[in-house]
Amino acid sequence: MKEVGYKFDVIVVGAGPAGSAAAYTLAKKGFKVLLVERGRMPGTKNVFGGRVYADPLRDVFDGFDDSAPIHRWVTKERISMVSGEAMTSFEFHTRKKTSFTTYLTELSCWMAKRVEEAGGTVLTEITVDELVVENGRVTGIRVGDEKVSSEVVIDAEGINRLLLERAGLVPKLELRHAGLGVKEVIKLSKKEIEDLFGLEEGEGLAWLMMGEVTGGLPGGAFLYTNRDSVSLGLVVMLGEAVKGVREHISRYVEALRLHPLLERYFRNGRIMEYSAHLVPEYTWPSLPHRLYADGLLVAGDAAGLLLNLGYNFRGVDYAAYSGYLAAKAVEKAHEMGGMTSENLSVYERLLEESFIMKQLRKFRNASKMRENGRLYSTYPEVLNSVMDQLFHSPYEVPKIMEAFKRARKGRIGWLDLIRDLLGMVRSI
Amino acid sequence: MMRKPMRVDDILNNDVWDVDYEPHIRVDATKCRECDEKPCLLLCPAQCYTLVGNEVLFSYEGCLECGTCRLICPHDAVHWDYPVSGRGIHFRFS
Amino acid sequence: MLKMVVGIKWVPNTTSVNIDPKTGTLIREGIPSVVNPHDLEAVEMALRLKDEYGGKVTVITMSPPSAIAGLEHVLGMGADKAILVSDRAFAGADTLATSYVLAKVIDRLDYDLIIFGQETIDSSTAHVGAQVASWLDLPYVYYVTHAELRGGKLVVRRSLENAHETYELDLPALISVAMHSLNPRRVKVSNKLRVKLENPVKTWSNKLLGLDPECIGLRGSPTALSKIEMVPKVPRKNEIFRGDAREAAKWLLEKLRGEGLLELG
Repeated sequence: MKEVGYKFDVIVVGAGPAGSAAAYTLAKKGFKVLLVERGRMPGTKNVFGGRVYADPLRDVFDGFDDSAPIHRWVTKERISMVSGEAMTSFEFHTRKKTSFTTYLTELSCWMAKRVEEAGGTVLTEITVDELVVENGRVTGIRVGDEKVSSEVVIDAEGINRLLLERAGLVPKLELRHAGLGVKEVIKLSKKEIEDLFGLEEGEGLAWLMMGEVTGGLPGGAFLYTNRDSVSLGLVVMLGEAVKGVREHISRYVEALRLHPLLERYFRNGRIMEYSAHLVPEYTWPSLPHRLYADGLLVAGDAAGLLLNLGYNFRGVDYAAYSGYLAAKAVEKAHEMGGMTSENLSVYERLLEESFIMKQLRKFRNASKMRENGRLYSTYPEVLNSVMDQLFHSPYEVPKIMEAFKRARKGRIGWLDLIRDLLGMVRSI
Repeated sequence: MMRKPMRVDDILNNDVWDVDYEPHIRVDATKCRECDEKPCLLLCPAQCYTLVGNEVLFSYEGCLECGTCRLICPHDAVHWDYPVSGRGIHFRFS
Repeated sequence: MLKMVVGIKWVPNTTSVNIDPKTGTLIREGIPSVVNPHDLEAVEMALRLKDEYGGKVTVITMSPPSAIAGLEHVLGMGADKAILVSDRAFAGADTLATSYVLAKVIDRLDYDLIIFGQETIDSSTAHVGAQVASWLDLPYVYYVTHAELRGGKLVVRRSLENAHETYELDLPALISVAMHSLNPRRVKVSNKLRVKLENPVKTWSNKLLGLDPECIGLRGSPTALSKIEMVPKVPRKNEIFRGDAREAAKWLLEKLRGEGLLELG
């Protein structure tokens, strides 16, 4: 292994939201930063659902509102319970601009450009083979037969975290801790999107669906409106999918696209891209593994930092903010005299004090709730049966409670119902 | 737009790769022969794993680099690496 | 010490170009460009010669500035210098106008050997190398699979369908590398770092070259493209035969004969 002729204060692995946020924050503070990315451009290996919350990114990146690639501000939220050929939806419409849609590919590129502007060095097409560990301390990265050295490495390599595994720092990700997201990006015109979803220019829709949209696999489906396309896809819990999958997973996405109540939206579109990615699904509050070591910090998906509430996902902003906190930890460790494990442990404290860990702790039981199979079949059926009785009884309309009793019968017992309700109230 | 389900090959036609001349994933076929579950056949989103006769045929070219196969393989038959030199899938709208 | 110049082209990644089902036209939106894969083989040959005999590799391309990413890739592989030949005046060039500009660029460089890829994936003309050689009045050999120096001469092997030919070339000369004959090497982190920190890409415009507007760009291009027709996509039949090899062979033979694809005496 040959040492290259350049040395850095910090090497960040992966130019996704976490890596770029960390590199940007440190470059701005005058650290000599190297950000390496295996894709041909930053973002070419990144996939997300479709929505990002803006404020955590504003905290990290100066001038966010001036130039970030925002497609549409999500002003409309729709949550639907689907069974058979019926769905009951809940919709919230406002004019507030809190989260937006975009392509993560674009957003990652934008972030990496900020890193360069801040004085960081960004290298693409570089796949790190290994974290170099010497005397129990991470001293740099190995790429092919070359080594690049640094005081500290921030690992933001993403959910597959091969480098951490190879360094013996974490075990292989367990099935129950991962979800599989598969999506189609479907091209539509701006006007078509605005007409189809009742939006004005710059307004967007985030639509989460539960029930018979994942073919009985625990998980959910999503639709986000981009500038001139929609992202349509599903996330299934991998541990359950392994047991329950009955046909090729692309068929589940196609069934979603061709669902009798959804097909109308995509009729005039064409698929622009098909993508897939794993999603962290940890059961908190236990951290999946330590996020710091001598000369090392871990951020973003590699650290498993994503909040999945079932009705909302927070991944990109959590990743970026964790990268930002990792950078803060490096700054503090630098002030304390070096990148020792002890000094870097401040990272966990920063995470604990931030919204990230507070939220993950608060919603620690959310993933357990999502394992409950009734959420995907029974409840959508009951709800849609009630609505059906209320609106499609030509002569005698039942009272709501009456309709509910009928809908419930044979589907779910009172005890389970109460237990699930309490569980839901407690967890989300 | 197609009103019936598209084959995954046709869906994948919309993606862009710069395919490497060496695979970034290697599969131990002897382990596949012993495997009853073969979850890779249905869960690899790019259908890189197909059944030909009784053999699992693996091709890396259309890989989306999600890492699912590595996690779900019950026999640890998948040696999975990140592609090098900027090769592999090139997402543009995801 | 060989001084080499390699010409590359920055092309849309046409392996991935899809057809719009409604209009029947190519979807070009968002198709990223790549270094023409066959040109990477030319770079690889230059780098192997450099490894063997020492030397300098200068890569040139005529393209809009987006090609800098491609030049950075080949610098990452180990090329020493790169020149982006870029000017609005060069836009719309056919192979003749392109080779003219490249020849004029190469003329200003100190070189022993010029290497091109066999052809590009976006137009497959295989013109430019030969034309550059003609402009510069150099000997040239196409479809080269191997090259080495012997007594100050370049000995190249050229592969044809049924023969291998060996040529001895006086330098300076031009060769084009047979496609699929070499695997281009991976980028190195040290080279990539050098690219970022030392910026070895230079841009040459027509201000510097001062070429006659009649000989460059659209005006210097006599080629007229009258029409492009798409080959209709034939749906695959996807028939699978299950059985032993002997029966399978028989079955396949019958199938091929049935389709009129096989005539047996």
